[in-house]
Amino acid sequence: MLLHYVTGLGIVIAGGVHLFTVFLTGPYLQNLAFSGGAYSVISVYRNIILAATLEVLLLFVDYHALNGIRVILIEFHQGEAWERGVSWILIVAGILLLIYGTRTILIANALA
Amino acid sequence: MTEPLISEFKKAFRGWFLPFKYNLERWAYALQRLSGIVVTGYFLAHIVETGNVVGGLSVWSVPSTDMARDIWTATFHFLDNPLFDTGLVVIGFMLAYHTINGIRLTLAEFGFLEGKASRPDFPYKAKSLSKPEQAIFWLSILFAVATAVYAINVFFGV
Repeated sequence: MLLHYVTGLGIVIAGGVHLFTVFLTGPYLQNLAFSGGAYSVISVYRNIILAATLEVLLLFVDYHALNGIRVILIEFHQGEAWERGVSWILIVAGILLLIYGTRTILIANALA
Repeated sequence: MTEPLISEFKKAFRGWFLPFKYNLERWAYALQRLSGIVVTGYFLAHIVETGNVVGGLSVWSVPSTDMARDIWTATFHFLDNPLFDTGLVVIGFMLAYHTINGIRLTLAEFGFLEGKASRPDFPYKAKSLSKPEQAIFWLSILFAVATAVYAINVFFGV
């Protein structure tokens, strides 16, 4: 539960940076173009600090969201099999999302 | 289990999201949960969407920049329509509410802003929602509405 609060605060900071770079640094459509602006998609991934912030944000949101779902589901029903099944499925989903998102960040960072 | 899963689920659903006859704090928590679930759904879709920046699910080594550019531009054009923009306005509302109310919940968890416990007298209002906490709750509603208005301005130019 403590990690839930800690990741929540982390999301406020990292998410704030992410939303700032997308919405508050220029025309929103320019920032979502592949390239061409200071904060367009590839420019953000190539910047090592912004890319690291995105990775941290991915990790924190991944944990916060899936643990939240786990809290709700286990509050619904308690039992050995149910708790183990819920936790296992959510942990696997969390790891898959983390792998896929990290892949995106690493490859985009390396794009010419 | 002492009762079938479906009726247990129906009771749980009503308890989670339709807490009639409970106080404001309970409704705030219900909206916190609902917004959390909605935003989790957006998180899943967003990871898949941004995966298309490098070319999609099949790309696991550095691809050609032109292929990535084409796939991402196609994805963005697919998503750049009023339906998904409306969805983003809703997500903005939910996320903003969840954030500020979450800050209120974190403060309450660690004991800040709570008043002193006292004997419950008529009209038996719950003392867990103190005046500063009520202020933060209404601030979260305000922030959520402001975010939605800003998002409508960004996406629809209104």
